[in-house]
Amino acid sequence: MSNKFVFEEKEKFLHKLEEVVKSGVSAKDIEIFTPYPVHEAEEVLKLKTSPLRFFTLLGALSGLIFGFLFTIGTSIDWPLIRGGKPIVAIPAFIIVAFELTVLFGGVISFIGFLILSKLPDVKRIIDPEEYGNQFIILIAKEGRK
Amino acid sequence: MKEVEYNLTLEEDILAAMRRPRPIYWVALFISATFFVTGMASWFYQMLKGMGVAGINNPVGWGVYITDFVFWVGIAHSGTLISAVLFLFRAKFRNVFNRSAEAMTVFAVMTAGLFPLIHLGRSWFFYWLFPYPNQRQLWVNFQSPLIWDVFAVSTYFTISVIFWYVGMVPDLAIVRRIAQGVRKKFYSIFSLGWTGSIKQWLHYNRLYMFLAAFATPLVISVHSVVSWDFAMSIVPGWHTTIFAPYFVAGAIFSGTAMVLTLVIPMRKIFRLEKYITKDHFDKITKVLLFTSLIVTYSYITEFALAFYGGHKFEEAHFLYRALGDYKELYWMMIFCNSLLPLSLFIRKLRRSIGYLFVISIFVNIGMWLERFVIIVSSLSKDFDPYNWGLYHPSWVEVSITLGSFGMFFMFFLIFTKVLPVLAITEIKEEAAE
Repeated sequence: MSNKFVFEEKEKFLHKLEEVVKSGVSAKDIEIFTPYPVHEAEEVLKLKTSPLRFFTLLGALSGLIFGFLFTIGTSIDWPLIRGGKPIVAIPAFIIVAFELTVLFGGVISFIGFLILSKLPDVKRIIDPEEYGNQFIILIAKEGRK
Repeated sequence: MKEVEYNLTLEEDILAAMRRPRPIYWVALFISATFFVTGMASWFYQMLKGMGVAGINNPVGWGVYITDFVFWVGIAHSGTLISAVLFLFRAKFRNVFNRSAEAMTVFAVMTAGLFPLIHLGRSWFFYWLFPYPNQRQLWVNFQSPLIWDVFAVSTYFTISVIFWYVGMVPDLAIVRRIAQGVRKKFYSIFSLGWTGSIKQWLHYNRLYMFLAAFATPLVISVHSVVSWDFAMSIVPGWHTTIFAPYFVAGAIFSGTAMVLTLVIPMRKIFRLEKYITKDHFDKITKVLLFTSLIVTYSYITEFALAFYGGHKFEEAHFLYRALGDYKELYWMMIFCNSLLPLSLFIRKLRRSIGYLFVISIFVNIGMWLERFVIIVSSLSKDFDPYNWGLYHPSWVEVSITLGSFGMFFMFFLIFTKVLPVLAITEIKEEAAE
């Protein structure tokens, strides 16, 4: 069994959360659920910034590189002079590369979000856990990791 | 009022919109679906008979279809402005508009995306636009603005859908809690098993911020690319450097007007007056006024460039635009986009909902006319007088255009019944502060 505290107000919830943290319970053992993002709670628990940014960076860079490689590669593959312009016309390709940067960056960020937050959660889809508009603090039993 | 009570009434009030519809809803849905089906039938007719049934001719090869394309892409832009740009600027008033504005973006891009296909003639070859390995070993021409368009619009659609959906996940979890039966299953699946744990919120907030940061330059690039479809050519009236910012401002202007056109009736029908207040309208109308001023400034600059540039054809074209065959449309456009919105400097009018609704309709008409005037007047008189000609849309083009409005409103009506119309979670967060 774990300890569960239920609050209807944000202030009381935060107050209790601070108390729990001060009493020496490690942040790993505390699970909280809120109806909307509560940034103060992140500070109290001293959570690190989400590693999502690495997914975003990876996606954006791969989109950028792919965008240039693809446009340049296909132009060289079929080297047809168009409108008297160079075959590899970088300024024109910047636009395609930019769009692919955004596309890959956005899609991979979204996938990263799903992986990091462990969604979709099939167990919860079948049997959703509802906390309504309440603020919940769950403390795992001491000694249990 | 205590927070929990406030949140409960909030949920109830907003989700009340999703209850069994009243007869007026069915009437509206029926009318828009009829227009949609008629438009689709006209498109089918055009495919059977060939492009000859459309009014486009030589020299006016771009007509109402391209006008509609630019118009609908433009409408989409304000959704992203409200949801992404105003989010980055921490403009709180966006919270009551963002959900419907994002829905509008998605539906408008879907509608816009149809028009290049309709305009293709042989619509069934649309996939030739995409670069894919094929037997002929051909690739698309990446130097063509039309291919940039393919990339810009499809990226824009994908990112808008993701952004819209991500913003909705916590709200879908609220609907899941309240819904019953099959609907509960549906919302359980689409809310992905969301619990609202701190880890989820942490990643969620980061994702939302990154998507907003991606969407902001994206929205500028998309309409810039659309403007380059014109500006990259040497046709007088199109070949100017101001086209990109001019089109982006116009897009946001028309989109904001469309947000008002959609949200004002929605607020009335679903009794959301408590949440979407006059202050909110006051603020969004300032965006409308501001973009109207930029658009007006662009109109003036266009003429200034033409006369200062010393380019005979450019000069002749702009005289033709203001005084030639399409002059009525041009002056109607000036009235709707530049003169009428000036009245919004008066605070009282900015807070008069009925007036805003009327003005938003005028701006929609004005912005459609703007695209028509730019496209058609430039093409009908280019360099060679032997090659001049006029254009009038045929009934097929009119029917498909009306069909696009039908499609857009039909999707929006379905949206109001299937998804939460306001961003409940964000309003809760704002109220708690």
